[in-house]
Amino acid sequence: MTEIPVRDFDFHGPALDTIFDTYKELRDHCPVGWSDRYGGFWFLAKNEDIFNAEQDWATFSVAPSMLLPAFGTDEPMIPIDIDPPLHSAYRKLLLPLFTPRAVDALTPLVEETARTLADEVVKGEVADIGLGYARPLPSIIFCTLVGYPPEDWHMFDGWVDRIIYDRDVNPDESATAANEVRDYLWSLVERRRQEPPKDDITGRLITAQIDGRPITDEEILNYGYLLFLAGLDTTAWAIRSSLWYLARNPQDQERLRRDPGLISSAAEEFLRTMSPVQAMARTATKDVEVGGCPIKKGDRVVLAFGSGNRDEDAYPDPDEIIIDREENRHFAFGAGIHRCLGSNLGRREVIVALREFLDRVPPFEAVNLDEPWHGVGPLTVRFIREA
Amino acid sequence: MRIAVDPSKCQGHNRCMIFAPDVFEVDDYGFATVQNPAGTVPEERVEAVRTAVANCPELAILVLED
Ligand code: HEM
Ligand code: SF4
Repeated sequence: MTEIPVRDFDFHGPALDTIFDTYKELRDHCPVGWSDRYGGFWFLAKNEDIFNAEQDWATFSVAPSMLLPAFGTDEPMIPIDIDPPLHSAYRKLLLPLFTPRAVDALTPLVEETARTLADEVVKGEVADIGLGYARPLPSIIFCTLVGYPPEDWHMFDGWVDRIIYDRDVNPDESATAANEVRDYLWSLVERRRQEPPKDDITGRLITAQIDGRPITDEEILNYGYLLFLAGLDTTAWAIRSSLWYLARNPQDQERLRRDPGLISSAAEEFLRTMSPVQAMARTATKDVEVGGCPIKKGDRVVLAFGSGNRDEDAYPDPDEIIIDREENRHFAFGAGIHRCLGSNLGRREVIVALREFLDRVPPFEAVNLDEPWHGVGPLTVRFIREA
Repeated sequence: MRIAVDPSKCQGHNRCMIFAPDVFEVDDYGFATVQNPAGTVPEERVEAVRTAVANCPELAILVLED
């Protein structure tokens, strides 16, 4: 038997600082390999292997979870941890709220919120636009989409940080926060059951039929919980990383100011190169060989989206950020049957956030060069005002 | 040019609608079809459709005749 290629590959926390070099090394020398982290997993680093695995959901199951490590709960999250046939029933419930038409209807609120936030952060000379702009925008929109009281968004970031970003270092804290979120969700569900029906996410969940039977309370919670974790920091990360780049690349910033028509292709390029979700996991349902590696039934398999997105076999100059790149099929939203349910909304929020920011704020530059490209932490910029 | 959307591959993410909203249409769930039942693409929209094909994340837009 040939030897199994092993790397100490990680895709969370500080590993992200240098992950693009890591990916390159993997694609060049170890496109499929094994890492001992998080209980051990195979990783796929090539665009084509990731695409094929995403399409082959029968071999690459999402049970017990797409998340590695888990998000503070052992309950399967809906719909990400559910395989067909139930998966599509869950998805169909909410799909109509995420079509282009539905997103168009939400756009005025996104624009208004972005303007209000931008006008606030620009008051000073220096601002943390991670905290003041990138993070609140998706949380505020999410309140309307799901049906939370608008003022509640202030509580969300703390929960998300503890559940997602503490989970590899402090799993107990992550689990406690998960319970707090579930209690919060539950109080909303109980309240809404007393109120007249409304067509938002909660309204659809509490009246849903799955396979001809009413949805259970557990299912409502497991869906609501997942949405909370899927829609907030991902979008905030995408907005922050786009602004992170523009704060360090005045020429591209100037180009987008001059030609706002390029913002949508720029947003796509930022999503490709600085994806908020760098990888997701699957589990092999049978023995299968990928790139010469013997993946065994039950093995965990990590699809390294961030690496596939910079694969030299898929894109010319893959590590270059080219804001008018025309052909840009990428995995920022995954692919296949689990591809992001909220992609139209997430994308729209990023585009509007950039457009309104550039429209209302003078040129800005990075103040703290140590702030990383990844995550949802601070992004400190100085506004350059004409004297 | 003649195209079709493979319904078994389309995941309804509407990249096609960004590039050629006059060629594709989507149902209430966001799944795409080609507006023209014959799938024929007018000459002046061929380039836009090529961009849509290149950006469809699922490779769901089939080029039947180039
Ligand atoms: C720019 C922002 C966003 C990014 C980068 C993103 C990324 C992703 C990724 C990578 C996946 C996994 C796909 C796979 O494994 O193939 C996913 C799934 C999902 N996302 Fe997003 N997402 C974003 C915004 C949102 C928003 C705003 C919502 C909803 C409010 C949302 C809801 C979901 C749901 C429900 C799933 C699970 C879909 C399924 O399992 O069928 N996402 N997202
Ligand atoms: S871009 Fe592709 S997957 Fe998305 S709706 Fe159009 S045909 Fe379907």
